[in-house]
Amino acid sequence: MISRRFSTKLIGLILLVSLSISNVMAEDLVAETLDETSAKWQQTLKVAKGKSVYFYAWGGSKAVNEYLRWAKREIAKQYGVRLIHVKVTDPGEAVARLKAENGRTSAIDLTWVNGENFAYLKQHDHLLGNLWSSIPNVANLAIDTLPITVDFGESMDGYEVPWGIGQFNLIAEEAVFSNAQFSADDLLTIARNNPETVTYPRPPEFHGSTFLKQLLVNLTQGDERLYMAATEVAQQDLLPKLWAYLDTLHPYLWQQGKAFPTSSSEQFLLYQQKSLSMAVSFNPNQWIKEKATKQIPESSVRRSFIDGAITNSHNLAIPKFAPNSEAAKVVINFMLSEQAQQLKFAGEWGDPSVLKSMFDSRSSLPAHGEPHSSWQLILEDAWQQRYGG
Amino acid sequence: MATTLRRLSRVLGWWLVMCIASLPVWGILFGLWPDEDTSIADLSRLLAYQGLGLSLSQSMFSALFSSLVSLYLAFLIYSQYQSHSKVGGPWLEKYLSPLLSLPHLAIALGLVFLFSESGVFFVNGDIGLPRKGLSTFIMAIIIKEVPFFLLILIAVGRQLPLHGWLLQGRALGYDISTSWWLLVFPNMLKQMRLALLAASAYTLSVVDMNLLVGPNIPELFAVSVYRWQGSFSEGDQALGFWANVLLLVLLAVSIIFLYCHEKLAIKVLQHWTVLGRRIRLGFVDTLGQVWLPASGLLILLMVLVFTLWSLGFNWRSDTFSLRNLNTHLWQDEWLFVALPLQNALLIGVSAAILGIMFTLLALELQRQKGRYLPDYIWLLGILLPQLSMVLGWQVSHIWLEGGYHSGWVVFAHFPFTFGYAYLVLKGPFQSIDANYELIAASFGYSPWQRWWKIRFRLLFPATLSAFAITFAVSIAQYIPTLMIGAGRVTTITTEAVAIGTGSQQDVAALYILLQSLLPLAAFLITALLSSRVAGPKHSTLEISRC
Repeated sequence: MISRRFSTKLIGLILLVSLSISNVMAEDLVAETLDETSAKWQQTLKVAKGKSVYFYAWGGSKAVNEYLRWAKREIAKQYGVRLIHVKVTDPGEAVARLKAENGRTSAIDLTWVNGENFAYLKQHDHLLGNLWSSIPNVANLAIDTLPITVDFGESMDGYEVPWGIGQFNLIAEEAVFSNAQFSADDLLTIARNNPETVTYPRPPEFHGSTFLKQLLVNLTQGDERLYMAATEVAQQDLLPKLWAYLDTLHPYLWQQGKAFPTSSSEQFLLYQQKSLSMAVSFNPNQWIKEKATKQIPESSVRRSFIDGAITNSHNLAIPKFAPNSEAAKVVINFMLSEQAQQLKFAGEWGDPSVLKSMFDSRSSLPAHGEPHSSWQLILEDAWQQRYGG
Repeated sequence: MATTLRRLSRVLGWWLVMCIASLPVWGILFGLWPDEDTSIADLSRLLAYQGLGLSLSQSMFSALFSSLVSLYLAFLIYSQYQSHSKVGGPWLEKYLSPLLSLPHLAIALGLVFLFSESGVFFVNGDIGLPRKGLSTFIMAIIIKEVPFFLLILIAVGRQLPLHGWLLQGRALGYDISTSWWLLVFPNMLKQMRLALLAASAYTLSVVDMNLLVGPNIPELFAVSVYRWQGSFSEGDQALGFWANVLLLVLLAVSIIFLYCHEKLAIKVLQHWTVLGRRIRLGFVDTLGQVWLPASGLLILLMVLVFTLWSLGFNWRSDTFSLRNLNTHLWQDEWLFVALPLQNALLIGVSAAILGIMFTLLALELQRQKGRYLPDYIWLLGILLPQLSMVLGWQVSHIWLEGGYHSGWVVFAHFPFTFGYAYLVLKGPFQSIDANYELIAASFGYSPWQRWWKIRFRLLFPATLSAFAITFAVSIAQYIPTLMIGAGRVTTITTEAVAIGTGSQQDVAALYILLQSLLPLAAFLITALLSSRVAGPKHSTLEISRC
């Protein structure tokens, strides 16, 4: 118990240090941001007028689609820019296209991206840089309070702009998950008492991988080595705890762990159909929105790991050879406006704001930083070796 | 002069059809061209992938088993309907329309919703289908493939002297079912080869259905291929390359297997004929009788479920009752689906007509040459892994800088409609009795007149079936439409597939229904037309009392 409290403090310290580092970066960034009245921005607005912006974004959520339909109307009205939502099933489709275009004029003006896709695009020089210094509303980003300057270990460096926040949480039956927060041990007890109603999406689906990360953090009391590049020794010290835990947990899971949902969407459907007592989500307000539209029973609640919810951002980026990059900047600027961020959070979608002025602790969960990105691949590969075949 | 002209047009024709037939190869070459950092070491990484052996064998098994079972079932049903039912062919064809119209994914979704654990009709652990498992996947495939095979059997059967064969059978003292299996089946099996290849290639590489109902410890191979190819994590692209190569090997093996099956089946049946053996089907016979009514009922239930969902009904929710049903969603979405529906219709009709025209050209050129090229050459668009192929076209399309419009999308659907049109039309085309044309020639008909007035006329009912199938194939295309249209050309399917990845069953159900509308219309209209054209005399065989 003592060691646990100590390490919690240690994480706090690490987070504090990393936050102050990002503060330093933040000051640099803020110093460089653009004013809405500046001639440069006025020029951007002028160039943007009458242009079309093809926005590659996941089309699987009605709430997001509705939101973008609203944004399309507003952007047309306010800036004379035509926003077109290209509905994709996976952000990888945009990455594959940019890879195929390989430096030619792109069919994409704007894309919704994070994680490995962003890292790939940035490393292969497919993205337009200096976004932070050429979009006025970037100045209002809550970089002091939210982990939104680094994307899964890859520094954003102006190649993408945070749009919203993801926090890993469960949407669960209150009778089964009675406490607001739970540990790995609690989860095991719950699974034992309610066999076949608990599960997680099959890694490497990112909700599933995050579920593993949360367990690892909890089981190793947030070992500091999780936040550094994964060494061989660290893996040998830390991973066995996770595997021992999963060996015990899996027989109690849905289908006795012999099959897993392929996506968080599928798990949510199983929860809706009452096959499961819990679903997973990266939107801390999804539960309340789904309840409001009567998609899930009144007895549904939001639950998170006791260590805090692993938190990351989802972002907007412009391809390097986007034909209408200035218009895309106007769209990003609109997406970061208080008007747009307010409706994104308060409307059907419920995605938390990234703005300073709208940071609201009630709408979000206690945050926990992402483990170092090297752990993700290691976890996914090892999981496949142990449980995937 | 006329001969030169004819020769010239023949060369041009060959050149054109070979271009179309080679588009898939072109796509695969460019789409699969490995990155510089792909190496043999990655191959050993792929081979060491946990569960690969099981994944490969399950994929192979499901592909071959489901297509063969579907074929035998379809033939059983066909023979029974032809010999017992007064209404016969045209009625059957109309009846098939709704069965053919629901997309594969919708069938899978409906199946698990109705019959898996926690499903509406789930009885107990032994009878119900697993929510995720090989049996559910195979079941969904079979439900979808049987009507497809039936439609092709009908098209093929129109051109065959079934009546004569069955009379011969009677003369030999066979009962009706023995005649069908010993005399008709071997002939039809040869003509069904292409459909069999297409069905097994589809099952081997289908992803969406697999993700929903396929087993995932381990996943079937197509899912792994899709995941690696779509992932940009370190090393995954290299794995994706080798996995695609392995998928090509699997396809080749399945083609070889199906050829061997055909040879063996024909040999066995011939042997039985020589021995004068009788075929007793027992309970399987009953299965043939109940299959269509049962699957009709099933599809009806599914459509009902989807309709209820789209009206806001939530089966398991405790806050919903029938009183809450409303049409808000239909009203909200209607504005946004008109254009995608219209696009899909235009693209579908153009791609279907193009596919059929070029198929007829390819068949005619081969007939004139007196030699038919191996089938797989014409079917590459259906057989090769779609994602890699379209990736290659995407790269070429970007090089051409031709812009993004429906024309390109039609062009990207073309190899698929061509493949399916060839699959439907080859059998009927080959079995047209050449004597008719000979007689026409003796009346002084020119080659063109003979072709148009005799051959095409005789082929017209099959062409209608081909149109319906290729139209439905074009409507169902997601990957080529998105990757070549780049979001400029939205169809009802690009919308439906995107929304299907989410968790809102109401919207997903609405789009499934909308997506089925166009194929349903096409199947119904063509079935009605072909019953007029073919006339009742072709469809019913008055041999039920033998």
